[in-house]
Amino acid sequence: MRDLQGIDSLLLNELKSCCAKEYNFLPREAGLNLIEINAIHSGVSAKCRDGKVEELRSLTSFFGYRTQTFVQAVNLLDRFLTIMKVQPKHVPCIGVCCLHIAAKMVEEESNVSPTHELIRISQSRFTVSDLNRMEKIISEKLSVDPDMVTALTFLHLYHSAIGSLEEIPSIGRLEAQLKACLCRLVFSKAKPSVLALSLIAQEFEVLQSATLLKIIQQFQKHLKIGDSELLHWKELVTKCMMEYRSSECNKPDNKKLVWIVSRRTAQSLQTYHFSVPGLPTIPEMSWDESESEDSCEDLSSVDSSPCGSLGSDGEGAFFPSLFHH
Amino acid sequence: MSAVSASEKVDGFTRKSVRKAQKQRKSQSSSQFRTQNTPIELSPLPQLKDAPSTDQQELFCQKLQQCCTLFDFLDSVGDLKSKEVKRAALNELVDYLSTNRGVLVENAYPEITNMISTNIFRALPPSDNPDFDPEEDEPTLEAAWPHIQLVYEFLLRFLENPDFQPSIAKRFIDQKFVLQLLELFDSEDPRERDFLKTILHRIYGKFLGLRAFIRKQINNIFLKFIYETEHFNGVAELLEILGSIINGFALPLKAEHKQFLMKVLIPLHTAKALSLFHAQLAYCVVQFLEKDPSLTEPVIRGLLKFWPKTCSQKEVMFLGEIEEILDVIEPSQFKKIQEPLFKQISKCVSNPHFQVAERALYFWNNEYILSLIEENIDKILPIMFSSLYKISKEHWNQTIVALIYNVLKTLMEMNCPLFDELTASYKTQKQREMIKEQERDELWKKLEELQVSRTSEIQNNSHGFPAALNNNNSNNNNNDPQESSGDVEATAVIMEDLHQDATDTACESVSCAK
Repeated sequence: MRDLQGIDSLLLNELKSCCAKEYNFLPREAGLNLIEINAIHSGVSAKCRDGKVEELRSLTSFFGYRTQTFVQAVNLLDRFLTIMKVQPKHVPCIGVCCLHIAAKMVEEESNVSPTHELIRISQSRFTVSDLNRMEKIISEKLSVDPDMVTALTFLHLYHSAIGSLEEIPSIGRLEAQLKACLCRLVFSKAKPSVLALSLIAQEFEVLQSATLLKIIQQFQKHLKIGDSELLHWKELVTKCMMEYRSSECNKPDNKKLVWIVSRRTAQSLQTYHFSVPGLPTIPEMSWDESESEDSCEDLSSVDSSPCGSLGSDGEGAFFPSLFHH
Repeated sequence: MSAVSASEKVDGFTRKSVRKAQKQRKSQSSSQFRTQNTPIELSPLPQLKDAPSTDQQELFCQKLQQCCTLFDFLDSVGDLKSKEVKRAALNELVDYLSTNRGVLVENAYPEITNMISTNIFRALPPSDNPDFDPEEDEPTLEAAWPHIQLVYEFLLRFLENPDFQPSIAKRFIDQKFVLQLLELFDSEDPRERDFLKTILHRIYGKFLGLRAFIRKQINNIFLKFIYETEHFNGVAELLEILGSIINGFALPLKAEHKQFLMKVLIPLHTAKALSLFHAQLAYCVVQFLEKDPSLTEPVIRGLLKFWPKTCSQKEVMFLGEIEEILDVIEPSQFKKIQEPLFKQISKCVSNPHFQVAERALYFWNNEYILSLIEENIDKILPIMFSSLYKISKEHWNQTIVALIYNVLKTLMEMNCPLFDELTASYKTQKQREMIKEQERDELWKKLEELQVSRTSEIQNNSHGFPAALNNNNSNNNNNDPQESSGDVEATAVIMEDLHQDATDTACESVSCAK
């Protein structure tokens, strides 16, 4: 028997223990600040990181990986970038490597794409051995824990807690929104518990439910999340969601896609475009039609033309009638 | 000589070796018939350049008349001297016409047209090879080409001469002349067709009175080609001429021309030999659309109606044509046809033939098409999404899979929320289908178990005699009505479930198709 206003105690305990663990998986704030202020050519910049994360999102979607794979991959990437000084040219390799590590942890073995396929599809320039070496480095430097606590963990917990008390939309939308947020470096500064809560708060604000507000306040109380902190992140999330929902094309200006086609198709594409014919244009004169009156009389004499007249199904009618304008 | 079966010709993968082995080269037939029994000796006339100017006209006509003598070129040793005389005379005539002014006096016209008619208007020989494949086989060349070439050259110079007067010439270059000229377009010799193309182009340009007639006759040829014979060697050349005519159409387009587009040009796409003239045909179609964009919708609907279903080579050509049309399409017209068009593109993209899939995917490399898609992404993405997503997992060709990634990525960047929504609903649909599949399997299993149990029941109750078996069966049924009817009931329930399932699936797939 559950108190309608109260959150399920089991879930609450889970939340608290996750909260305790979340600090282990936070990227260093100092490192994130450094990335933010980096101009593009001196080290890894926010734009570089964001672009790479967007790519990881496409790859996740393409390979059918779960949201958890993506979230963990981004977490690994951010943590690595904040503890190691890397050159921008290595970021693609690091990014793909993090995705691969996360996939191996989260997905079933048969669903994990092989490394050569990953490299080929992402049109990356490094090799499989590069990827393997990078994997070793990352595993050494970071504690790669399959049970890592991320914003998604909290999102699921919050969602199931609220879901047992209120009718709310499915978690699919929230997951998509979380993915969109993670493509911005700024959100890596937030504590996962706070980020997840602000997502929920902004999504369900629309529902205007007093019960939900109370539940959120309860979460805040138990997990010690301050009002100002929540408000700050909620504002940022709202802004991000507005951009996400707007129908403006959002093309990150990273590398252009390479279109590789087979030799035969390439050949036919080249020879395809029919060049302007060698025959010059013959302008149609406005007095063409009156001239055709002349030929009308001759027409009868060539009725038995060997070329054959139009079919006997009466479709021939449209031509002769024109001559009688 | 046995014909090559249709299956060996599909998709242009004709096995040359097969046909070459079967072919027996017959000797080339001639298109000229000897009318004389005794050989004609031609004696060379004096050179035109040497003759005094007062005699030149007379000499010119004499030479023209001399060139009306025809020779049999299949006989490679006969009349060599005379053939050479004629050749030299023709050559000289061509030069004379090109370099001098004032040659074309009024009474020269009939002599000229007579000489030309006599030489080139002939019945074309029947084809040596009834299965002539223009792409693979060598064409049968005209044996009398050494003379005929010069005659064509002469005709061309005649038409292009600065002194040429259509008002005089039209008495001789009349409908009958043009008709015979058109028949020659069926020649297998490409050099001849090339000349004819230029010649007819000039005639169309200069003789306004013949234009409507020429158009009508070309229509006839095409319609006969499409609906009756599927054989005509000169379609590409005629289309090239038409291209320059269409290019010159005045606006607004006459109804006659629009009819031509819809009744002739579009059905021409159904021809089996499309590859021979597709480039020219596509050019004509695009020219029409540039003249009158309102024709876009009927044209594309027409192409979709005739979309190839079994010939992948043709499908690739159609896709190329669609891209050319899209390159010039107006955004307002695009909106009218985007849904049926992208439904077809969605099918092409998942075509197991890799060239078709590649060609369709390559549309996304075209900047203008991308901008059109982007403007209408909310209509287009749902159509493309499921087939793209499905084949990203299932297609056998790795190059295609990489291209699909490019396309999906591009689409995702255009409208991320819609893309995410479609991904989610696709996944839930797949889940639902899997669950249904499992349920169905379980129902069948239950049914099987039920059957097994009933069979074993019957066997247990029988005394081993077939007759007795029947009796016992019916006795069984009569004696234990409840038990057996219970079985029957259970079976009925299961059958109903399965039937409902099938109906559900049928309904789903119908609604999907819509």
